[in-house]
Amino acid sequence: MKEQLPSPDFNRYQYERPNQNWICGHAAEGKPCRIGPDSKGHCRATYECQPALKVKPGETKGRYECTRPAEYGGPCSQGPLPGGTCCRPITKCVPVRSLRSKRKVLTICVVAFTAAVLLIGLCGPFRPGFVNPGRLSSQHSTATFAKMAGAHGGGDTCVACHGNADAGPHGLVKAAFNATPGPLQVRSLVSSQPPAMNAIDENCEHCHVAHSFHEPNVVRALSCSACHREHQGSGLMPKPATANCLFCHANAEVMQASLELGKKLPAADFDFRPAQGRVLFKAPRPENGYTELIHSFADHPEFQVFAEKLKDPDTLKFNHQLHLASPNIPQLNGHKLACADCHKPDAAGVYYLKISYEENCKVCHSLQFDLENPGLRLPHGNVEHVRAFLRSLPEQYADFGAKQKGITGGAELQQFVQTQMAQIREHYGSGEELERRVFFSDAHTGPVTQVAGTDATGAARFPGCAYCHEVTSSANGAPLVTAPVIPDRWLIRGQFDHSKHFKIACTQCHDAEHSRETADVILPGKATCAECHSPRGGVASSCSTCHTFHSARKDFAER
Amino acid sequence: MISFNKQRWVGLVLFVLGSVLIVWLHAKCFGVVPKLAYLSGWVLFAVMLALTFYNPRKKISFLPLLSSEAWLQFHIYAGLLTGVLFLVHINYKLPTGWFDDILASLYILVMISGFFGLFVSRAVPKRLTTRGGEVLFERIPGIRRQLQDRVETLALQSVDQVKSSTIADFYVRELKYFFDGKRNLIAHWFEVRAPLNLLLNNIADLNRYLNDSERATMDEIATLVRQKDGLDYHYSLQLVIKLWLFVHIPLTYSLLLWTLAHIVLVFAFSGGAR
Repeated sequence: MKEQLPSPDFNRYQYERPNQNWICGHAAEGKPCRIGPDSKGHCRATYECQPALKVKPGETKGRYECTRPAEYGGPCSQGPLPGGTCCRPITKCVPVRSLRSKRKVLTICVVAFTAAVLLIGLCGPFRPGFVNPGRLSSQHSTATFAKMAGAHGGGDTCVACHGNADAGPHGLVKAAFNATPGPLQVRSLVSSQPPAMNAIDENCEHCHVAHSFHEPNVVRALSCSACHREHQGSGLMPKPATANCLFCHANAEVMQASLELGKKLPAADFDFRPAQGRVLFKAPRPENGYTELIHSFADHPEFQVFAEKLKDPDTLKFNHQLHLASPNIPQLNGHKLACADCHKPDAAGVYYLKISYEENCKVCHSLQFDLENPGLRLPHGNVEHVRAFLRSLPEQYADFGAKQKGITGGAELQQFVQTQMAQIREHYGSGEELERRVFFSDAHTGPVTQVAGTDATGAARFPGCAYCHEVTSSANGAPLVTAPVIPDRWLIRGQFDHSKHFKIACTQCHDAEHSRETADVILPGKATCAECHSPRGGVASSCSTCHTFHSARKDFAER
Repeated sequence: MISFNKQRWVGLVLFVLGSVLIVWLHAKCFGVVPKLAYLSGWVLFAVMLALTFYNPRKKISFLPLLSSEAWLQFHIYAGLLTGVLFLVHINYKLPTGWFDDILASLYILVMISGFFGLFVSRAVPKRLTTRGGEVLFERIPGIRRQLQDRVETLALQSVDQVKSSTIADFYVRELKYFFDGKRNLIAHWFEVRAPLNLLLNNIADLNRYLNDSERATMDEIATLVRQKDGLDYHYSLQLVIKLWLFVHIPLTYSLLLWTLAHIVLVFAFSGGAR
């Protein structure tokens, strides 16, 4: 404080006071008046001094003396007028604002302008465009969305989701303070707990009726916004981040609670995924459910199908190795049999079409039961049709002779039928034996399959249904062929887009070249995926790369 | 008293440490603390309020609230820190939408004007010291008037002394405009001496037509021209020191108002959701 004291020659009368709002108009002339303007900017100047009446001892009236200070020239030579008025009046000035005051006025103007812009923007018809923090995603920008939002009594603008969007300024402030958590609930801001269901989520649920459904043992329903960020620009909404999943899956407490809740629920509750016409490979639910702690794909458990060495329950007998690697397999269209010859991608290229006998097997495995007439083939797909075919074999030969052999004469055709039937009888003994062999002969008991060809088509000789199918007999001895069930989806808790992996050879992931049994599930293990889907591999390894949170439920799917 | 250099180093170190801490905390908490943007927003708003309090603090100097110098240092380095907080708050992405764009623009303008103020408050005093002289900004108009009076007196005296109006005419033709008010402010800011040299050249040209007495008068006038030029130099540079606040302060209050509206909108529209 000491150095702030004024020096001895400091003249406090001439001290500049830039904090004052008004400055004497004469200041620019270097002659500001002593009194200066008042606080409202009015000139208060009158005279250069206010004469003082001095009465000397013995005097009755006294004399007025000039009181002009020395720094303003000292007492003037003329002195005050007889009436006690200063003889030097000051010309009135027009006070000017100080620089500080001008800045204050400018600040007030700018703040007023800001307030005006805010009021116009927030209260006027421009509000939706004015406050919108970013373009809506394509999902929420469609006419369908507007129609659905409107149907729920809201509107097709902001109010469709934000219930307070149409409120006035007072309503907005009220809504802000009524928010949960509100602006003053600081503790909830630092909480690592994701927000629970909120008022705004109710608007989401108007359309997304099953939004909260994940697994039945979820212990706490989260707010939609915990994972989904809207107003991030046009295009699809960004996928939830891995951290969103880790809120629960990396939290031991939450996973333990889920485990306990899951044990109380009936197993049927977990079989909630709608098949939607597809065949799903349903792995048995582990005793503890899917509650292992996960922090990243690195500590993601091994795929259940791989870890538990689950088997394909299909009864069809198929040997991948044989078809891909055996030298006995003939070339197809001039090249060695490859995966793509049977496995055709769907229109989107994401998954593969169902394998069918007609499309994929028939070209090699035609049902040629009569070596002499390879063009005559058994029907496929229905036991009764096959039995009816065999029991009407003379008619079938007659039809074959007329249409395929071009035999038109009645006697000639009858001769043809009799000859063929005689050969069949000679070969099989009876019709019952023929039927038994057709259904029950397999690779061991039936004729040797000669895929390399007994005729120009290169088709295999038909050994019997049991060569590929599981065939049993019913109580009355009728054959029963177990229909093959080939799953369309193997990993039902995730999705896999084959079209994104087209550069990789099938066998790089699916070990088909070493699979001899149908029971082999030739899906790759986690390590195969992690070769690319890892920080080292450089490909995304977030949860949402493979998983979706919201699984549709059967009951909703049926709506 | 802590030296200026020491203050600067302490401030810089605290700023760097604070920035590293903020960025690290953001990276660590991103995705873990769901309402991280709310949290960073409140911290940013609190720091902005503390920075704004520097202005009223100067008006309530009677309260023992640290020295103004300490407040200035806090203002500078906490102001820089808001830049980091701002980046963290917007998650290193420029906002979209009118409202948020204006809010971000206001912040950036306040920040830029602050940087400019810091620059001029450091650079201008050095330039003024180099030029020499010391004058209060508020007294410059009075001093300018005194100089004008002295030049006019010299010009009139010369008429009486040599019975010639050469200097008086020259004053009216070349110098009156120069002495009438503040001149060449932009040239002074850029250290351009051409206007002064032009006037001095004109004076030198006139000297050829003057006698010794007039030449002595003219020398005095040239000295006053240099003084007036120096006065204009001070005015120009000191004006910049004061004028940057005409941008910084109004925009600051505008930013605060807009921020309040932002807070209300965020909570009103989210209903407390993320």
